[in-house]
Amino acid sequence: MSSYHRPPSVAEALRLKRELPGSSFIAGGTDLLVQMKDRVRQPTALISIRHLSELTRIETDGGARLGAATPLSDLADDSALMTGWPILGEALRDFASVQIRGSATIGGNLCNGSPAADAAPALIVLGARVRIAGLDGERLLPVEQLFEAPGRTRVREEELLVSIELDPPLPSGHGVFLKKMRTAMDVSLASIASLALLRDGRLEEIRLAAGSVAPVPMRLHETEKVLRDRPLTPERIAEARRVARDEVRPITDIRAGADYRRHIVGVFVQRALEATLEKGDR
Amino acid sequence: MELNFTLNGVPISCSLPRGSELLLDVLRGPLEQTGTKEGCGKGECGACTILVEGRMVNACLTLAAEVEGCEVTTIEGLAAGGSELAAEQRAFVEQGGIQCGFCSPGMIMSVRALLDRDPDPPEAEIRRALAGNLCRCTGYSQIVEAVRRAAELRREEAR
Ligand SMILES: Cc1cc2nc3c(=O)[nH]c(=O)nc-3n(C[C@H](O)[C@H](O)[C@H](O)COP(=O)(O)OP(=O)(O)OC[C@H]3O[C@@H](n4cnc5c(N)ncnc54)[C@H](O)[C@@H]3O)c2cc1C
Ligand code: FES
Ligand code: FES
Repeated sequence: MSSYHRPPSVAEALRLKRELPGSSFIAGGTDLLVQMKDRVRQPTALISIRHLSELTRIETDGGARLGAATPLSDLADDSALMTGWPILGEALRDFASVQIRGSATIGGNLCNGSPAADAAPALIVLGARVRIAGLDGERLLPVEQLFEAPGRTRVREEELLVSIELDPPLPSGHGVFLKKMRTAMDVSLASIASLALLRDGRLEEIRLAAGSVAPVPMRLHETEKVLRDRPLTPERIAEARRVARDEVRPITDIRAGADYRRHIVGVFVQRALEATLEKGDR
Repeated sequence: MELNFTLNGVPISCSLPRGSELLLDVLRGPLEQTGTKEGCGKGECGACTILVEGRMVNACLTLAAEVEGCEVTTIEGLAAGGSELAAEQRAFVEQGGIQCGFCSPGMIMSVRALLDRDPDPPEAEIRRALAGNLCRCTGYSQIVEAVRRAAELRREEAR
């Protein structure tokens, strides 16, 4: 039994949240309504944020600012965004169904705090930050530091994730997103995002992040260390594959065993780097 | 609270005693529009697919309150004029895209949205557009055929 509220502004949404104990913000509802049906969560009130124009704008001018309540399909339809940051498009392409992508929001994907959130690895390698608003002001936090534990993020109970902010794209950076699912609509078993800048055969910059292989989406710092500022060779790729396997901390669940997940991460790191090598300098 | 929206071209006004009622329950319950089906209730099967402002939506994961002021189309409103079948429906009947029929209302709404966006989609796009509509009977091949036929019928009608 929850009441429904549609505040006219972010400020009003934050005020309502404090006023209504046990309430939840709701954006697309594709996580929250399922959790309510499963009786995992039973909010007393739903505060809808999907109609707030402050939260549904996409701005690209060098960098980009994505309103947190923007549906994924609106992001995928934004050609400036998809041209500048194609790895985001790759991460959204195999996301659920047309129906879900039309409702599900990018902010909801992050705030739900799932280790399998598909937007997370891509946003992490892009160095994205989230803007978080509370009654006493705003703060910025790198997406990499957003996740605390499964289902828990650093967005506090009375705060709202307002936007996701992207730096201008790396000139000639090469992004790859790979994910393993059992079926098209299933939660990913393991995913990898890679952003690389290859110059004269050396990896000037390399950022790797993985989903579904640790309690939270994680950056693969150890694997990056093996690669950064070094020539990208088949031997180096093989080494990175081994390090990535050891770096992740997967669990065994009904979808896959931990060993299999480690294996997939290694294979994906290899494939991503091979794709960068094949594309070559430019 | 009071909800006002347009259902298949008709202005509707109904009350939401709780506020958090799901659109699917309101359609099938008080509004007695049972063409839209409930399969999984969790966004996975697409049996509840309807169009809100022309966009495919899972009615089982949509709060009724969210469609305030919106144009909602369900399978009942697909055929213009009411009695005859729309091109998409005729194509599904002709091509055997329907067996038990439980997935059909949702499937056909997705086809409407797809063909509104792309009047002649290639097979890969058809399959991608229907990834969120499960069918336990047909094996999908007849459904893809039905979509091709629907596209043809629509082009003929447009002429
Ligand atoms: C059939 C199906 C398939 C799916 N497939 C995928 C998939 O392939 N990959 C994937 O990653 N996910 C998938 N999901 C999960 C879900 O669709 C996504 O996580 C989605 O992005 C959630 O966004 P939402 O707007 O629907 O969130 P909601 O359900 O509205 O909210 C989720 C949580 O975040 C909070 N919240 C939302 N927005 C904000 C905000 N701006 N500030 C503060 N808190 C906020 C809510 O209070 C709630 O706790 C799937 C879900 C379903 C039902
Ligand atoms: S009933 Fe809505 S998707 Fe299955
Ligand atoms: S015709 Fe029976 S489920 Fe599709």
